[in-house]
Amino acid sequence: MNALDDALQTPPAAKEGTHARFYFILRNLHLYVGLFLSPFVLLFAVSAFLLNHPGIPLGAPVECQTKVMQVDVPRGFDKLEGMERMQQARQILRQASVSGEIGPVHYSDKDGRLIIPVSKPGYETTVDVTLRTGLASITERGTGFLDSFIYLHKMPGPHLANIRGNWWVVRAWTWFADGTAWLLIFLSVSGVYLWAVLRSERHIGLMLLAGGVISFLGALYAICS
Amino acid sequence: MPSAVEAWTRKLHTYLGLYFLFFVWLFCLSGAILNHPKWRIAGFWNERKQVSSELKISRPADTSTLQAAGDLMMQLRIRGEISGEITHTESGEIVFRVVRPGDVSDIKADLDKGLAKISHIYVNNWGALNMLHSFTGVRRTDPTLHQNWWATGMWRFSMDALSAGLVFMVLSGIFIWIRRAQQRRSGMLALALGILALAGFLSIGA
Repeated sequence: MNALDDALQTPPAAKEGTHARFYFILRNLHLYVGLFLSPFVLLFAVSAFLLNHPGIPLGAPVECQTKVMQVDVPRGFDKLEGMERMQQARQILRQASVSGEIGPVHYSDKDGRLIIPVSKPGYETTVDVTLRTGLASITERGTGFLDSFIYLHKMPGPHLANIRGNWWVVRAWTWFADGTAWLLIFLSVSGVYLWAVLRSERHIGLMLLAGGVISFLGALYAICS
Repeated sequence: MPSAVEAWTRKLHTYLGLYFLFFVWLFCLSGAILNHPKWRIAGFWNERKQVSSELKISRPADTSTLQAAGDLMMQLRIRGEISGEITHTESGEIVFRVVRPGDVSDIKADLDKGLAKISHIYVNNWGALNMLHSFTGVRRTDPTLHQNWWATGMWRFSMDALSAGLVFMVLSGIFIWIRRAQQRRSGMLALALGILALAGFLSIGA
């Protein structure tokens, strides 16, 4: 039982010298940061698995009712680009009581239509405006709870950089997604430190670390060489 | 005296963390870069290098689509995942794209003339890192895609293993915390904050 006890109690190396305080602070930070991040890590892990296995159903999408209403399209909308266009599109969405991240807006003078795709976790909405009459047809589609995991996993992502983050929720989520990435690196580094002071775990830990490095480099070599 | 279950949970928590250390770093770093396309290091696509070449080929023995593409790749010494459709043009050409983290090869093979035109696109190491993040050979939005390279399958398996490992790390971490009476309240606050924050994002659309 000595090895088990050693693993669960304060390691001798941490009891000695000036490292004790640092060790306890780091151990508590590792615990609290880890607990706070737990739901986010689960979200990224589950959604990664779902993205890796597209055959797994996410639940049947729910087609919601389409409603029709009158909206005003701001003058000069077709001349705008990037975030300015998103701001004007947001005005139209407010009239239609629709919220979410706006995707690439399609404006066609020829067809006389303005199409605004909007997305948020678990929902996709299309606002289709007939420019001549100002009538907007709003179709909302529920994509399911699991799809909202995938949505958050992919947001904000590398595409549509000039318009991405036009909804405050996506901007806020960017902070949390970044925070998950950087804090997970902190957790792994602090975890390595906490392991390193456990003398009884050093040998097997080193073997696993070496196994991980070999697997990682081996996989990279197989793919990239 | 701690129970053996608790001791082993703690050990496995440590062991898995050590094994997956570099995988975690790769996905965290590439994830952060993917989220910030305006960062200089994320501009790898604009800094790509393109090289075109023409090589002689012999007609593949099996001309069924995937087999023919595989045969041509062997002849051209190109390795990677065939991405997207393999098209046969009316003029008898086979056109397809091969992708690996770091490079993309567009191949247009004229079987009658015995000549293949290859356009290689190379991105820098940051680009390769980003491509690794989503290198699965499959896509939810395109059910026609099927993984066709063994190395892609191995990488997908690594991603699955990392996902399962992270789930275990989270659950084992929570188990270890629950057993610590001293930090139960403060830990509960940290966990509750995390759950509430995520629940807020998930429910905001409802």
